[in-house]
Amino acid sequence: MRRGGGGSNAGGKTTVEWWTLNLSAPAANQAIDKVIADFQKANPDITIKRTARATDAHKDSLRTALGTSAAPDIYDYWAGPGLGGELVKANASADLTDYYKQYHWDERFSSAALAPVTQYGGYQGVPWKLNGESIYYNKKLFTQAGITDVPKTLDEFTADAKKLKDSGVTPIEFGGTVNWHVMRILDTFLEGRCGSDTFDKLVTKKADWSQESCVTAAFSDLQTWSKDYFNPGFIGINNDESSALFFGGKAAMALEGDWFNRTVVGQKMNPDDVGVFTLPTGTNRLYGFEQAQYISKDSKNKDAAAKFLDYFTSTEVQQQTQGVFAVQSVNKDVKADPAKATSLDKAVDTVFNSTKGLYMNNDQNLSQSETREYWRIQNLVATGGMDPKDAGAQMQKFLSSE
Amino acid sequence: MTKLTDTRFPAQNAAQRSGTRQKKSLVQRIAKGGFIASLPFLAPALAAYIVFVIAPMISAVRLSLYRWSGYNTDPQVFVGFKNYVRLFTQDPVFWTSVQNTVVWVILSILIPTTLGLLMAIALNQPLIGRNLFRSVFYIPGVLAPIAVANMWRWMYNPNYGVFSEISKTLHIGDGSGVTLLSDPKVAIYAVFAAFVWQIAGLNMVLFLAGLQGVSKELLESARLDGANNWQVFKNVTLPALRPTIVIVVVLTIVHSIKVFDLIVGMTGGGPAQSSQVLALWSYTQSFLNHDFGLGNAVATVLLVVTLVLVVPYLIWSAKGADDNR
Repeated sequence: MRRGGGGSNAGGKTTVEWWTLNLSAPAANQAIDKVIADFQKANPDITIKRTARATDAHKDSLRTALGTSAAPDIYDYWAGPGLGGELVKANASADLTDYYKQYHWDERFSSAALAPVTQYGGYQGVPWKLNGESIYYNKKLFTQAGITDVPKTLDEFTADAKKLKDSGVTPIEFGGTVNWHVMRILDTFLEGRCGSDTFDKLVTKKADWSQESCVTAAFSDLQTWSKDYFNPGFIGINNDESSALFFGGKAAMALEGDWFNRTVVGQKMNPDDVGVFTLPTGTNRLYGFEQAQYISKDSKNKDAAAKFLDYFTSTEVQQQTQGVFAVQSVNKDVKADPAKATSLDKAVDTVFNSTKGLYMNNDQNLSQSETREYWRIQNLVATGGMDPKDAGAQMQKFLSSE
Repeated sequence: MTKLTDTRFPAQNAAQRSGTRQKKSLVQRIAKGGFIASLPFLAPALAAYIVFVIAPMISAVRLSLYRWSGYNTDPQVFVGFKNYVRLFTQDPVFWTSVQNTVVWVILSILIPTTLGLLMAIALNQPLIGRNLFRSVFYIPGVLAPIAVANMWRWMYNPNYGVFSEISKTLHIGDGSGVTLLSDPKVAIYAVFAAFVWQIAGLNMVLFLAGLQGVSKELLESARLDGANNWQVFKNVTLPALRPTIVIVVVLTIVHSIKVFDLIVGMTGGGPAQSSQVLALWSYTQSFLNHDFGLGNAVATVLLVVTLVLVVPYLIWSAKGADDNR
């Protein structure tokens, strides 16, 4: 099969193939179309051909195309070791160190945004979207339950959940069929019980899951919460079905990312009735994940692709699209416009600004097969099928067998 | 006579005559029938079969001996039987998927087959609205499995589903509604219920067709001899249905071994991989875990299991065809 993928280069005009994930919000798609149109107007010798796909179709297309002549010049992917990292490992992504020097990208992006693309050595990908996750809560239900302040520690968090349950509402909603939804709270318990250093060692396999007592503590928290504080039958429904409980005022909390701001408004909830607080892990790190734009290793149009990514992540463009893709831009010079921001946007902005560093969702940290085993153990513990004391040993057994 | 022939057909045409004899021979062989004769007619189907069935099977078996992530940029590394060793000794889900597949096959042979037979016998009687009932029972069989999965998933929804509402109304359990798909011990059976709903009508149609072939004379003479309903069924109807039963059982086994869509649509193999089956686990390992070696090892195990179950049927049917010649 012929190597050297990407768009064409004919008659002095370069076509850059750009594969992205679907953006559900119409405003986001319009913003991307405008970025492309403006770039092409300024660079008439370059055409950007964008192909957007749903998550699984995007993954399938990349798997079959990378390394062949059908590969795109630029592809959009999550930056964690379990996803973007697997493509780096598979030799599909180009090291962009020279372009980082040429365009001074090191100075453009925040340290949190740069960390995921520099973790493999060199510069793999260009950051474009950093999403942070936190607890969204229904202010009225909190007041009804007698909660006057948001929790700062995991123990306070659990105590508040009990108050909410006693007041007759479901404390927090989760949809278990998608696995990654429940995973968010398990990751939170791991970060909170183990601390940042041990959490990082666990997910990079530098610590033994079976030897760390904090792992058992985290899984015990998960079992307590799933039994007492999750919506009944959570494991048999998906996240959209469970989110309906939050929008309908039946559940008091949702663990969601900053994209939830738009969803809350779309679901006809008043953003002023919804509050946001940082996950009370005590480590002061932001919980989230990043998407980056990667240039294919075999692309024939790397220069044109880099030129477009430079434009896309520039302060000018990022300022124009601020708040459309994520609450905060990866470009550290971009500031939110207070006039356009809702109370919810401001609250999420506070969460971003009050945290330092990032701990990523574990489906980003772990490989795909490790993630699936992590989910299996998580769901067994959550449904009472496994003693939390055995969870760490089970996970370690799988990691050791690889 | 020979001389005359030699005079009429000069020596230089001997080779042509030989060719003619060969052509005649081929024509004769085609006219006579047999494998060679049928080859030109079989060729298009055979080519498609080789390209789309045999070659992928061989490729799957070959890939099961390699370590490969599925990316063209990643080289395939030969690892021998390591994938099988890992599958049999270290994969925490493989044996669950084997157990579920076996349970699914056994239950499929027992429940939807029996149900289909009972419905066929009932709807073979002169009832009012018989055709309507036949259509109603058959309709689930023509629906796409993923549509059936969606429908049943909503029926099982713990917040809005019909089963949950019924259990709340009847005060079953703790009053929070039944959560069948949420219980790792029950989930696979909850999915199986949807399978029964879909497949029983299909079996009914096959049994109905079989029942039309039961000799009315034999049935009447059995009744004249004083046989009751059960005796007529056991000694006349059932033996006459034997070929249909074999077909239904084999089709059910094939359907149940490759069950995929319903599980994906209803549980995705969960919770905690408790409703995982071999076909879905093979897909999961290859396309979601990006471990094509392990995924194809699962596919090869599934192939062997299928062959063990289906080859006896093929031998039996081939023998039956020979006997009928």
